[in-house]
Amino acid sequence: MSTGSAAVSAGRAARAPRPRGMMARRAVARLTLPVLMLLPAMVIIVALVGYPLVRTVYLSFTDTDLGNLIYGGSDWVGLQNFKEVFTDEHLRASLVNTVLFGTACVIGTMVFGFAVALLLNERLKGNFVFSIAVLLPWAVPAIAAAAIWKWLFDPSYGFVNWALVHLGFDSFQDYAWFASRFSAYVAIFITVCWQSFPFIALSLLAGLQTLPKETLQAAAVDGANSWQRFRLVTLPLLRPIIAVLVVFSTIWDFKIFDQIYVMAAGVPDRGADTAAVAAYREGFALSHYGLGSAVAVVLFLILLAFSILYVRLIGKEGEL
Amino acid sequence: MTRWLRRRGWKYASMIVVAAFALFPIYYLVITSLKTREEIYSRTPDLWPNHPNWHEYSSVLGEGHVGRALVNSLIVASGTMVICLIVGALAAYALARWRFKITHLLLMAVLMTQMFPLVVLVIPLFVIMRKADLLGTYWSLIITYLAFSVPLAIWVMRSFILTIPEELEYAARIDGATRIGAMIRVVLPLAAPGLATVAVLAFLEGWKEFLLALTFLNDENKKTMPLVLQSFVGRGDVDWAKVMATSVLYTLPVAIVFVLARKHLMTARTGGAVKG
Repeated sequence: MSTGSAAVSAGRAARAPRPRGMMARRAVARLTLPVLMLLPAMVIIVALVGYPLVRTVYLSFTDTDLGNLIYGGSDWVGLQNFKEVFTDEHLRASLVNTVLFGTACVIGTMVFGFAVALLLNERLKGNFVFSIAVLLPWAVPAIAAAAIWKWLFDPSYGFVNWALVHLGFDSFQDYAWFASRFSAYVAIFITVCWQSFPFIALSLLAGLQTLPKETLQAAAVDGANSWQRFRLVTLPLLRPIIAVLVVFSTIWDFKIFDQIYVMAAGVPDRGADTAAVAAYREGFALSHYGLGSAVAVVLFLILLAFSILYVRLIGKEGEL
Repeated sequence: MTRWLRRRGWKYASMIVVAAFALFPIYYLVITSLKTREEIYSRTPDLWPNHPNWHEYSSVLGEGHVGRALVNSLIVASGTMVICLIVGALAAYALARWRFKITHLLLMAVLMTQMFPLVVLVIPLFVIMRKADLLGTYWSLIITYLAFSVPLAIWVMRSFILTIPEELEYAARIDGATRIGAMIRVVLPLAAPGLATVAVLAFLEGWKEFLLALTFLNDENKKTMPLVLQSFVGRGDVDWAKVMATSVLYTLPVAIVFVLARKHLMTARTGGAVKG
């Protein structure tokens, strides 16, 4: 007891001439609660997003198999893995697939989504029911959507082939959509567009509803037809939203995994794999964890470029 | 009449075409799950189940792993939701009331977790879970899903809490409530719409996620719905009746939540960047 109170009084004596230290302690006391409140979230984010990101970048410079991965001891190989990403035919093809297929999906969803947004903005009779109908595909989980469309594109019993044959395209009798890269991508493209156009359409609709009516009316009074009004008034005013949506869908469509993993599994030589699927298979199926990490890092860098673009776009619009 | 057709008719026509494109796959999914096997494996698919029956549902729920997987998905999604709400609300409150200068860092974390491909993180996450001896457990998924839902949760809830006047809390504290007490009894009830949004988002994350579940879970008894569904579709000889019934069971709960919460999901998906 006596030593304790001595320590306390000694502490007081030591503190008294140094108000700076006291202020620091008060600041610590004041900040204890908020820091404790932030701590769980910070720990989770740093340990499970920050650290793995750094670790993957490190792994991409090493030759790592399952044993190395768990017990350590991978060999540093420098840029060897990255060289292989761009020389290995399958991996290079997977990157090309990602860019081409991703771009096609972005264009498809943006154009179709915009058309649907304009249609929703007409406020026709039955608009509410229509908007719920448009929303529903977005609610379907990716794996379920992949299953549904794989069934619709089934060679023998699928609805799509049956409908195409009945429309007079006889070559689609028993047509195997997932037997070649291109036709598999057509099927996956439709699946991805079906799932992602609702978000684009509803976001653009929200934008359309904020447009000043007076400007459009003024343009109409000045004799602009509906196409001119769209091109010269609507499009420029919506530019910020369109830019953000393009960046978002680029990021989502380039990193697509679930649909490709399920639907492109039967394509010969895994020719329809995208970078995300190739990186996963290289790691977990073939135990080339270093090379898989390198593919992931390349994909990451592509998307990082888009994210920087995104931050700049919203920074400019003053949304932060 | 002809004038009406010329002016508006094509708009109604395209509305019907778009609605058909959106709804037909879902309709076809449901009717396939109600058809008999002979009808499913027929060269001329009917657009109506001639002998509608629930046989396939009772069969997948009874014998397969589907019933178990529904329970697993429910545990993982609810666990993620509850912990995400607690961890997120604490952090959001701290960030809203004490002006830490890390708002930009938070936005970075939101962007990272919403945008960057999971495949970039999955190998180290696998090692972490193995070293923590959590592979194959619900916790491995719940903890990782938290990392991806908490940043967005903080972002959404913080903006709600910022709109609640701090004076209300002072009043409660003068009446004897502690800071945490005031937060729980005054602030959080007022931020209820934000909490609801976060709850839905976190639940959906846990319900839909596939890649990490594929990596962490091997035990048939622990597999979540997307894994079981993928294993049905991935077989050489696919049993479509089973796949469709499973897909309906997997989709229905989230589709209902989704339609009810649609307004909130719209703003949250882009971290509030696209303002409506």
